[in-house]
Amino acid sequence: MRSSSSWTRKRTVHEVSIALAMVDELMRIAAENGAKKITKVSLKIGRLSGIVTDSLVFAFDAIKQEHPLLSSADISIHEIPLIYQCEDCMNRFEAREIHFPSCPACTSVNLKILSGEEQHIENVELEV
Amino acid sequence: MCNTCGCDHDHQHDSSGTRVVDVNQSLLKTNEEAAARNKQLFDEKGILAINLISSPGSGKTTLLEKTIEALKDQVSMAVLEGDIETDLDAERIRAKGVPAVQLTTGGACHLESALVSAGFHNLEHQLDGRKLDVLFIENVGNLVCPSFFDLGEHRRVVLISVPEGHDKPLKYPKAIRTSQVMVITKADLIPHFDFSVEKMKTDALSLNPSLHIMVTSAKTGEGMEEWFDFLQRHRKE
Repeated sequence: MRSSSSWTRKRTVHEVSIALAMVDELMRIAAENGAKKITKVSLKIGRLSGIVTDSLVFAFDAIKQEHPLLSSADISIHEIPLIYQCEDCMNRFEAREIHFPSCPACTSVNLKILSGEEQHIENVELEV
Repeated sequence: MCNTCGCDHDHQHDSSGTRVVDVNQSLLKTNEEAAARNKQLFDEKGILAINLISSPGSGKTTLLEKTIEALKDQVSMAVLEGDIETDLDAERIRAKGVPAVQLTTGGACHLESALVSAGFHNLEHQLDGRKLDVLFIENVGNLVCPSFFDLGEHRRVVLISVPEGHDKPLKYPKAIRTSQVMVITKADLIPHFDFSVEKMKTDALSLNPSLHIMVTSAKTGEGMEEWFDFLQRHRKE
């Protein structure tokens, strides 16, 4: 969110925790596949995940330098919108805000999340 | 199966010796698997596991002290105390006559399942075969990172104290969304702050409509019966 009176600093801290966990997962994936190097990592990050993607990349880029296997890995992020399905009228819609969700067609708050909670590694490009 | 290298994964090869492996797994898979093992162990042993999360100083340890005082004779309890440093909180719990193991993360701002597992095994030595009804896991004081890391708990309880302000649910949505219970603490201070319980409830419910909200004061005892009832109702038979 950015306006004249608010400015979001894209360097939050908790993404470091996520990046550290991600490094462990990538090292395991590399070992399982006998990789010499990981060159690309594709992530799916949902609107509801609470992860600021720029911060995650920033944290990962700092941490990866300590791991020769990961030091040349680039991250690409597929951001997943928050999509609800209204359980009353079955309308599907995208929500921009995460609080006070209601169906724009019938105002119901009986909603099911179809996407937006993802915090996944989609695929990894390896050098073997 | 991949025809080029004969492995079990679904991936493509190209001429330069690179290949793409579809993993489609959580970023936190290792922790999530360890959490599932913790939960299974707690279930097998008939233990209700509660993960307490809050900012530093919201009153997690105080809530536990009062809970122990009130329920010690009826409910067998133990505590895993997460902190970055020191075992001061574990000492406070032990002083109330309940087994406690301090988990010091050495810098990390949240607990992870592997550390909880190690702490629980240590706790079992202290229990020496005694049945446990409720295991409290007091997370490191932080409203952000702990909400990402499942510990295998049955219920996540987020505490927010009156001096922190009623705007916290909207500011920390993941903590609210991933918890089942929100305990507003230090309610005795409401007259001294511009604090609206209604506003806080409305905001929290807008993020998580099934959230169970309690208003408590460990000092005056207000609302504590509801918390004790909640524990009694949810402990395993």
